[in-house]
Amino acid sequence: MSIKDKKLLIIGLTIAIVIGILAPFFASTNPDGLESTAEKLNPNVLESEPFINSIMPDYNIPGLGETPFSGVIAIFIGIIIVFALAYGIGILLKKRS
Amino acid sequence: MHIPDGFIPISQCIVYYVIVIFVGYFAVNWAKNNLDEKQIPLLAVLGAGVFAIMAMNIPIPWGTSGHMIGSPIVSILLGSPFAGFLVMTVVLIIQALAFGDGGVTVLGANIFNMGIIASFLGFYIFKALKPLVHAVPSVFMGSFLAIFITSIACALELFIAGTFPLTAGLVFMGLYHLVIGIFGEGIISTIVYMAINNLRPDLINKKSLDLKREN
Repeated sequence: MSIKDKKLLIIGLTIAIVIGILAPFFASTNPDGLESTAEKLNPNVLESEPFINSIMPDYNIPGLGETPFSGVIAIFIGIIIVFALAYGIGILLKKRS
Repeated sequence: MHIPDGFIPISQCIVYYVIVIFVGYFAVNWAKNNLDEKQIPLLAVLGAGVFAIMAMNIPIPWGTSGHMIGSPIVSILLGSPFAGFLVMTVVLIIQALAFGDGGVTVLGANIFNMGIIASFLGFYIFKALKPLVHAVPSVFMGSFLAIFITSIACALELFIAGTFPLTAGLVFMGLYHLVIGIFGEGIISTIVYMAINNLRPDLINKKSLDLKREN
């Protein structure tokens, strides 16, 4: 990997992690556009149970409660998983010469 | 715009899964024939960035919030809507399985909306506008219109599902995502495009975007 690529990875991941650290503090907790529409038009549907219990529901670590710290850790883990998976899929599917 | 479980009947969920698998086949073929090794770091970084920014809901009026999708700008930068599809599919699977953001039964529908519709709209609107105006406003319009029209498609799907009434669903979904599209998707995508264009213009897929003459 070239130095330019390493630089891109470091800058890109740093920006992602900084956004991830800020998000639990600054993100709006209001319902999103879809939930808000459902609240107005068909609130019953919001009572539906999730099909599976996710590992880190609502971007929080179970046991750490719904605190910004818990959110930061959860989002950080997500960033690393997505980065690794996307990189892996790239390697797996790339053009072969 | 992550649809939760229970919003779409299972029979219709299956239809979206089938469409996603069908498009996924072509996306894999696209990657095997076109995905250059030097694009992989950008692909992975964009995935990480898109995941992070999707956790940052920005407030919009009417007690509502929203976040960008990200697949339009990924498609534009990497030169194919299939790139946006692949990145968004990874992000949406992790969001659904690990974070409960978007349901598992409706994962196909969410990938159909944010991975397929948004990617193709963003990429082709950008490509259509590019010869008429500069690349930067084309990025803005492509990204903005992509999320806005995707929200219209989402409202139609939820009408077919029997969950939202037609007119009110279209009005609310359209109105909210018009705002999110301008202040979220449109502006942030434009900033990302300008930053990559300054930092690593060599990584923007110029061949498929006919940008050769500009640089």
